[in-house]
Amino acid sequence: MKEATFDLTLARKVVELVRKHNLKFDPQVLVPHDDDLADRLFQAGLDLFVGMGVYNQSTERRILFDRHEVVSAIAAAPGAITLGCGKDAAIERHRGVESALPCRMHSGPTGTPCSERLHPLILQACAQEPLVDFLGGGSVATYLGSPVIPGTPLEILASRKEAGLARRAVSQAGRPGMHIEDVAVPLTCAGKLATFDPAFGLRPSDGLLVSQLPELKTNYDQLSRVAFMQSVGMHVVDLMTPLVGGLGGGAEGTAVVTVASHILGVLCYGVSYHFMGHMNLHWSHNTDRLGLWVQAAAGQALARNTPLVTVNDLYTRSGLGTPEVLWEVAAGAIVGAVCGLNQHGVGATCGTRLDHTSGIEARFQAQVAHAALGMTRPHANELVLECLSHYEHTLPHPQPGKPFAELYNLDTLEPGLEWLDIYHQVCHALTQMGLDMDAGWRKVRHHANPN
Amino acid sequence: MRIPTDLLEKLDAALRLGNSDEAEALAKTMLERGVEPVALVQEALVPTLTDVGQKFQNFEIYLPELMMAGEAAERVTTLLEGVMLRAGKPSITLGTVILGQVEGDIHDIGRNIVGILLKSHGFKVVDLGRDVAASAFLDAAQKEKADIIGLSALMTTALPAQRRTLRLFEEVGLRRQFKIAIGGGATSQSWADEIGSDGYAPDAASAVELFKMLMDAPSG
Repeated sequence: MKEATFDLTLARKVVELVRKHNLKFDPQVLVPHDDDLADRLFQAGLDLFVGMGVYNQSTERRILFDRHEVVSAIAAAPGAITLGCGKDAAIERHRGVESALPCRMHSGPTGTPCSERLHPLILQACAQEPLVDFLGGGSVATYLGSPVIPGTPLEILASRKEAGLARRAVSQAGRPGMHIEDVAVPLTCAGKLATFDPAFGLRPSDGLLVSQLPELKTNYDQLSRVAFMQSVGMHVVDLMTPLVGGLGGGAEGTAVVTVASHILGVLCYGVSYHFMGHMNLHWSHNTDRLGLWVQAAAGQALARNTPLVTVNDLYTRSGLGTPEVLWEVAAGAIVGAVCGLNQHGVGATCGTRLDHTSGIEARFQAQVAHAALGMTRPHANELVLECLSHYEHTLPHPQPGKPFAELYNLDTLEPGLEWLDIYHQVCHALTQMGLDMDAGWRKVRHHANPN
Repeated sequence: MRIPTDLLEKLDAALRLGNSDEAEALAKTMLERGVEPVALVQEALVPTLTDVGQKFQNFEIYLPELMMAGEAAERVTTLLEGVMLRAGKPSITLGTVILGQVEGDIHDIGRNIVGILLKSHGFKVVDLGRDVAASAFLDAAQKEKADIIGLSALMTTALPAQRRTLRLFEEVGLRRQFKIAIGGGATSQSWADEIGSDGYAPDAASAVELFKMLMDAPSG
């Protein structure tokens, strides 16, 4: 089948399924509290996956599965996984809707490019945050000042260097066994494999992302990564980027594609956990009404109908060091905590601007998520709408913010006063809204011990 | 001859709904009634598809609707091209464009959208796909006698390949024979200036305007 035919068939199938399962997006109810809607959405995602299969770009053929095979594989997927090793190992679990089970926090330069000079500091700033459980290695565009070109020896060298830096960052943070979820420098299978080095780079207790190509596509480069990682016992991490406004259409259709993409991660990649990385087609964020609804609806659909370990993947329009970026994070974190997801962030500026990552926004995301544990969906909806009112009007022309070097003390690796002030202001406002920003983490430690 | 209003409205609706068969049938009817192919393009296809493109940009409609409208418009354009060719008249295409994702970049959707919009506005588009070697752009540009080459890069790691592709055209002495534009998430106006491209488009809608402007701009 030609790829263009697959795309058009998928688009038409999604329209049909949205209609058949009566899926409706309500811009005022971003955290739906309708279990039947969640279950219908899951069925629609399952129908899409079984009907379309997965397009392999390398062979221009579809990989098809029958329904029984799919349902069995989902049922057998892991519901809890141990990530990292030694004293720093942590268990990440499947979470339910309105669950009090603590969210795990993934941090690092989430899809955000870093300068070669500051990358080690940014990694350490994230790894040293006590509420951060796992680290993403992030990406740089150069190796010793030269551009990293995919498929060249420089990609191998840069990948190995960055894997080593991630390992060093977690060690310097006093957490040498912390799970490293990925090194994002390499774009090829060879580059990814080069990061595996139990002595100095990634270990079996770490992971690497295997990507899906939007929508419901893979290729031999991605599948080869899976073959290697499964052979050495590494964690395969499912990265999907369903596009809101793309082939799935609006929020309802993109939610259907998102559910189907998780199923792809189970069937084709055998992953340990999934990053729900849907994003707006035009701006690449997921903190607008459409993106929040997709997270809420697909999260609930998966939480109620599968044992999968799912993690949100927040991309904001606003830049680092602004109140707006924290309000965007707060909205996404509440949705995730209440709708069955663990937490991953933050891709500030939609991952477009250099060095827009630090540790404090991950701390903030974890605090908000912990404060929202056990919250009801209608309550979460009220809070999310309130958060939106602080940034929605800025989305067309977002605040640019400042990069890491202007917000952190590069000697002490502590946030500067300007960034801390903004953080405290937004924390205070959320406390006024009823979220226990200071003690939420204690609830995690003492009421619902994840380990 | 002016296009009858009822037919114009029906064609507009067929294009918006992506009903290719009906759009083609309506175009045939118009031609039989003496409507000039050029008028059909200018008074029907371009206004409708411009509006569809704008609605897509505003998120009033989504990619599937854009794709289906583009497919229907392409069917009509192909019909009109055939008519012009048989009549010995000059082509109705605005120009020939080569599009591709530069080497190392495997993303498709943004470039696909640009391709749909360009076709809808009357450009002939040759899409080389993803991960395209610099030499493949050069070969295609010569073979197709292209007017414009569009180099897309979503990933920052693909930017060197964008520069390399431009350089190849310079090295073989053909740089001034073609206009070269860049786009994609990793690119910017400053990057376009740095590598010496002829233009930069931040999004799909502005790509159409850029390409039209480049067609009007003098070479060299």
